[in-house]
Amino acid sequence: MDRLTKTLLVVVAALIILSPIGILLVWNYSDAWGEWDVSTVEHMVGQKLPGMEKLANSWNHAVLPDYNVPGWEDKLHASIGYIISAVVGVAVVLAVYYILVRLAAGRGPAS
Amino acid sequence: MHIPDGYLGPYTFGFFYAVMIPIWYRAFKWLKKLRPQQVPLLGVLTAFAFLVMMYNMPVPGGTTAHIVGGTIIAVLIDPWAATVALTIVLLIQALFFGDGGITAYAANVFNMGVVLPFVGYYTYRFLNRKLGLSEVLSSGIGAYVGIVTAATVAGIELGIQPYIQPGYCPYKLSVSVPAMAIAHLVTAGPAAAVVTAAVVWYVKKSRPDLFEMRTIMKSRG
Repeated sequence: MDRLTKTLLVVVAALIILSPIGILLVWNYSDAWGEWDVSTVEHMVGQKLPGMEKLANSWNHAVLPDYNVPGWEDKLHASIGYIISAVVGVAVVLAVYYILVRLAAGRGPAS
Repeated sequence: MHIPDGYLGPYTFGFFYAVMIPIWYRAFKWLKKLRPQQVPLLGVLTAFAFLVMMYNMPVPGGTTAHIVGGTIIAVLIDPWAATVALTIVLLIQALFFGDGGITAYAANVFNMGVVLPFVGYYTYRFLNRKLGLSEVLSSGIGAYVGIVTAATVAGIELGIQPYIQPGYCPYKLSVSVPAMAIAHLVTAGPAAAVVTAAVVWYVKKSRPDLFEMRTIMKSRG
């Protein structure tokens, strides 16, 4: 592994540890624009959105929804949940990346 | 910029799956040509992209935005590398963290993994090669233009939905496009410019060969 990659690994570690900044800075803010849940949107526009209601729960198997351990609501717990999410996310992303690299390499020489 | 499930109707999200299939095929073919010594670098940059998106920044008006890291990967390796990285990151964000929809996954990869890095990269290349600006400045401006364009495209996708099929995203273009563009013009755009320029400045100092090698490769065709 070259020095640049090693330096970037240190940056990655620092970003994991400091990640709670990413929720504490926006603690009293709403979601990003266009990322509200159905009931919030329906309330804001004052009408029912049947299509959105049907699709909104297409996936409800997220293990760490909103990058948090369910129920960890206060700032301290949410911050710990956020760090856990960062660690899990980086681990899974890297695992999928190396599987994909292996798959790509395994399919014969580059054309 | 992560469109959740329910905002795009079947015609709209289906269209983006159809658009993304050949792009994913091309990105996978690109990955086959990735040099072994670049594999760890792209891995750590993919992790980097996942993490920078966790840093939500306040947007005046009460919403939030974040940077993506796509232009950094495009400038240091290749825009196709950014497509590969963001395809992985957005999949994990959707499946594990409920960030961005499953139905909207292809649209989200199109915005953050295709529009953003390619616009960012070609802006960078134009400023650097044609206008002779430094790599640091060119990449910062490229990242800014890339993320604002991607957010605007996301705003267009959301805003045309009421015209295609009502009952999903209720906001029309006149609302969604300015909302998405402004959040990224004032908050995520400047942040992306500074972070990208800083990373490129550091890499230029520590690994100038990453820039020289590519120039040689490009000139050899």
